[in-house]
Amino acid sequence: MTRRARILLALRHALLVAIAIAMLTPFYWVLKTALTGENIYAYPPSLLPVNPHFYNFVDVWYLIPFPRYLLNSVVVSLLAVAGNLVLNSIAAYALTLPFRGRRAVLLLLLSCTLVPFQATIIPAYLITARLGLLNSYLGLALPLMSTIVCIFIFKAAFEAVPKSLIDAARIDGLNDLRILLRVLLPLSTPAIATNVVLAFIWSWNNFLWPLIITRDPNMQTLPLGLARFLSYMEDTTGALYAFVCMVLAPGLLVFLMAQASFMRGLTAGATKG
Amino acid sequence: MTLRRVLASRFFIVPAAIAAVTIGWNIYVSLHAHGLLSGRVIDAAGRPLANATVVLYTHDFVTQAEKERTKTDASGAFAFTDNDSHLIQLQALDGDRMSARVTIRLWFRAQDRELAAPLVIGAAG
Repeated sequence: MTRRARILLALRHALLVAIAIAMLTPFYWVLKTALTGENIYAYPPSLLPVNPHFYNFVDVWYLIPFPRYLLNSVVVSLLAVAGNLVLNSIAAYALTLPFRGRRAVLLLLLSCTLVPFQATIIPAYLITARLGLLNSYLGLALPLMSTIVCIFIFKAAFEAVPKSLIDAARIDGLNDLRILLRVLLPLSTPAIATNVVLAFIWSWNNFLWPLIITRDPNMQTLPLGLARFLSYMEDTTGALYAFVCMVLAPGLLVFLMAQASFMRGLTAGATKG
Repeated sequence: MTLRRVLASRFFIVPAAIAAVTIGWNIYVSLHAHGLLSGRVIDAAGRPLANATVVLYTHDFVTQAEKERTKTDASGAFAFTDNDSHLIQLQALDGDRMSARVTIRLWFRAQDRELAAPLVIGAAG
């Protein structure tokens, strides 16, 4: 490597580190405030935490029914992830097969991605109410159990599998469901990871839908709990930021565990969708 | 995918580690959550104060409310046996004299704790 190339590489890395610091600073500030409880408007601000402690996290755990909110969010997110994996993979496989009106279905699905969820929330609420699923885990997870973006991610992954492999499986006597389970899904782990991460994070962060369909405080999820906590405890900065950290942590953990496959899945979706 | 690969993957190791820490922490909590709270009361000269009143305040969402009182023995020692809060305050009273309110933050509700520093009752205020 020439000297000029080395300098350019170092400059590129320095730029990337600077951007990473800029992106991570808000997260660091939230964590620092959670650990110290200092006034966020204090001037001059201290860059390092002064007398850090974890008692704000203890306060959050006990002052509101945090374990209950956590359980609700976990159950709803797991339902959403399971629904996404099952429904999206089946839908995506169907869209890779030739059938009359396939192009129209694809266009319909693509055009539906333009409609914001807020526009369909009233019919979604009425359908959920008619099904008797208000105030239930299934009702909370229902609108996120299949998402069009994730269907297209699966579709792109399935289309990348050589057709000869599917033909061979069919000649060996596998039906469509077994081709999906035994051939396509094992070869599409990045798409599965992307589905898991996106479904988990969208469900975990969902605020509007749980707000509308839950009446019982015991069925509220963490984002609703955060809003409730804010309304009660607006003067306790440290506990509020500790709550934010506790809400963020599971989503961050799931993303970090699956990030490599997640990136591959998104890239495949971007180039072949 | 073999069982060994599943067990070696981060999708198993990370949740398993979290579960192990959670179980360990809960065992520790169950062994140390009897609500025992003890300490001593002394005067400004450092002498133990007998028969002083110690007031226990517990956190009531946004305020501290008095929960119970106890008296010190001849050696100035006091003990509460049924504290069920994680955020408390203690104050010692002796006639018209009183100590500063001391805030004690616990790691979990009803954690057993012996105060490291005694409550000091100063001159009449």
